[in-house]
Amino acid sequence: MFFNSIDFAIFLPLVFILYWFVTNNNLKLQNFLIVVASYIFYGWWDWKFLSLILFSSIVDYLVSRQLGIEEHKSKRKALLWISIMINLGLLGFFKYFNFFLANFKAAFSFFGSEININSLNIILPVGISFYTFQTLSYTIDVYNKKLKPTNDFIAFSAFVSFFPQLVAGPIERATHLLPQFYTKRTFDYAKAVDGLRQILWGLFKKIVIADNCAEYANQIFNHSNHHSGVTLLLGALFFTFQIYGDFSGYSDIAIGTSRLFGFDLMRNFNFPYFSRDIAEFWRRWHISLSTWFRDYLYIPLGGSQGGTVTKIRNTFIIFIVSGFWHGANWTFIVWGALNAIYFLPLLLTNSNRNNIETVAKGKLLPNPKEFFAMLLTFGLTVLAWIFFRAENIAHAYHYILGIFKNPHSYIQIGIYWKYKIVLCLILLFIIIEWIGRDGQYAIERIGYTWKRPLRFALYYAIIIAIIWFTGKDQQFIYFQF
Amino acid sequence: MNAFILKIIIFLIPITLLLLALCFFANGYTDPFYVRFTTPTQQNLIVGTSRAAQGLQPDIFEKILGIKLYNYSFTVAHSPYGKKYWESILKKHNKKKHGVFIVTVDPWSISTWCKNPNDETQFRENTLAVANTHNVSMYPNIEYLYKNLKGHYKDILLAPTKKLFLHENGWLEVKDIKMDSASMNKRIAEKITKYRTDHQPKTKFSKVRLDYLLQTIKYFNNYGQVYLVRLPVHSEMIKIENEIMPNFNDVISNAIHLSKAYLDMTNDNDKFLYTDGNHLYQTSGREVSEIVAQWIKSNN
Repeated sequence: MFFNSIDFAIFLPLVFILYWFVTNNNLKLQNFLIVVASYIFYGWWDWKFLSLILFSSIVDYLVSRQLGIEEHKSKRKALLWISIMINLGLLGFFKYFNFFLANFKAAFSFFGSEININSLNIILPVGISFYTFQTLSYTIDVYNKKLKPTNDFIAFSAFVSFFPQLVAGPIERATHLLPQFYTKRTFDYAKAVDGLRQILWGLFKKIVIADNCAEYANQIFNHSNHHSGVTLLLGALFFTFQIYGDFSGYSDIAIGTSRLFGFDLMRNFNFPYFSRDIAEFWRRWHISLSTWFRDYLYIPLGGSQGGTVTKIRNTFIIFIVSGFWHGANWTFIVWGALNAIYFLPLLLTNSNRNNIETVAKGKLLPNPKEFFAMLLTFGLTVLAWIFFRAENIAHAYHYILGIFKNPHSYIQIGIYWKYKIVLCLILLFIIIEWIGRDGQYAIERIGYTWKRPLRFALYYAIIIAIIWFTGKDQQFIYFQF
Repeated sequence: MNAFILKIIIFLIPITLLLLALCFFANGYTDPFYVRFTTPTQQNLIVGTSRAAQGLQPDIFEKILGIKLYNYSFTVAHSPYGKKYWESILKKHNKKKHGVFIVTVDPWSISTWCKNPNDETQFRENTLAVANTHNVSMYPNIEYLYKNLKGHYKDILLAPTKKLFLHENGWLEVKDIKMDSASMNKRIAEKITKYRTDHQPKTKFSKVRLDYLLQTIKYFNNYGQVYLVRLPVHSEMIKIENEIMPNFNDVISNAIHLSKAYLDMTNDNDKFLYTDGNHLYQTSGREVSEIVAQWIKSNN
């Protein structure tokens, strides 16, 4: 079930009413309802893959309960590895099997021997990378004794399958979300209203910005050899806003929906395109994944402690693994490696934590230094996104070369005019995001203190914009990860 | 909680009314299909692809035959003969006796681009309006607008092109098209090239589609008389059709046998004007409609 569908528009109010009215605020019933609703939500795509979520939930529930009892270090470690192997095994099979097979075949062929193994017709279960990481975080935290194992299987199942964030995050930590399933939830009017506002803004980002950008980004990337330099650059720009609008829009809807049910999910985006360096960008982009890798991979590897070689190694590992998490394609690995290259100079000169505060906080505009730093970071990010979007490395390479071909195309106004509506929408979007960059989401504080008629007018304007500028329906990009 | 729900309802009322009002603005300029899903069920139907949609004008039939024929033809993507079009036709037909049905045929309408031409799960129309619009006689048809106008809701008010107008009787009129020889020949050359280089190589005869054509005729036979018509096309287009299905009349022999009469107009191709080689220009469409109507009258 997609967030931007009629199905969800019916499903959400129905679950909301059942949750608050029919369960009579009974915690167990509410949790049970969340599990049922989440399984329906997921099963709407393909009910067969529900068994994977259930299996994952049972494995981690049982392993963690055993971890709670077991004191012997080696046995505890064995239990942890059972969970890791099963979870990553499933992820590996569904997501990476054919990739590894193809590369093995290519490697053998390179050395002159052929192996004849056929790839399998494997369908990637929606959201497997997200819930696998979420449930893994629980077992690892229990292993590290940061969290006591739960005895409540329904609460645990609700934590693993919680429908607002099941298929595309934010990837929640058990330490943050699971306790919320144990606590009595009461309806909070202000929280619910705020949730609706965030849903509205998320829909705007997805339907207006991402889907409109996607239409052109797809056209340009799919026929990149037919386009001039400036069109290719615009294509990369469109994809840059498509992926941000798509993914952060999804996160906003997920967070807003959770708030309607009395839950707080972690923030996933913090205006990343206003970052002044790549380190800041990665503190603001897909925060739940970055911090997951930081806590469960980077720090266990030694983090930035140790010598220069260790720092470089760890940085490359975390970025490449993060790239690979996105998909079984060399393009994602190069995308990760490229970000590692961007990040290294900052790490090695100890300047990776220079920009912590919001840019130009309390000011209308950034100063020239901040502006150029943002522009440079944005440019580097756009370049990296080309690898992310391209079909393969060769496609990305030719795409980038193409940007520098026919420089005269950059002064052809007609090309920009062709994309005038989507360019204006992007500009409007940047302005709104800039104004609201201090909030949790762009319109969090915009109009909040206005009188009701004016406030409603703002909401109506956003809704009308959503209807008026609805782009061609595109699937959420991150569903494929 | 109650206040929250009440406020949401109050908030949603104006926007719901606005959306509903917007739906009432949708008309024949909105897109080339919408109106066909808003009119009542019909007793007499013209079925086929865009050749019939643009070529056969119900007004002419009404004048000559004194009956209201409804043009329920779409495009070669939407309405080649197949399960989805068949189901849609069933919904549009009012099941009254003594109907008149014009079933138009050509090689494209019994062919497909699928690897396996008989695998109907892969047919193009499965995701299009004929398949996804469950109620075909509702005004305004909110389901159609929601499912098929995505990304184009503003077109309801802006009507981006005034060149296509879908009449209430289902005839799709192509307006203000340049018919000087240079423009016309350019369009024809482009269309022929597209069909020859793109469509022809991947087009395969589909037994499943032919079976649905027969099923459609058999169904119509229960409610009236069926007239099978092959509309004229440009001479270059007929060459392509003869290459992909040289024995077309033999292929549809069962359909001919099941129908009251069969009129193959491709021998008169050169008598008419075409906007692009595939579709009759409206003056020629009028002539063809008159010929077909007179032919039906003489066979009645």
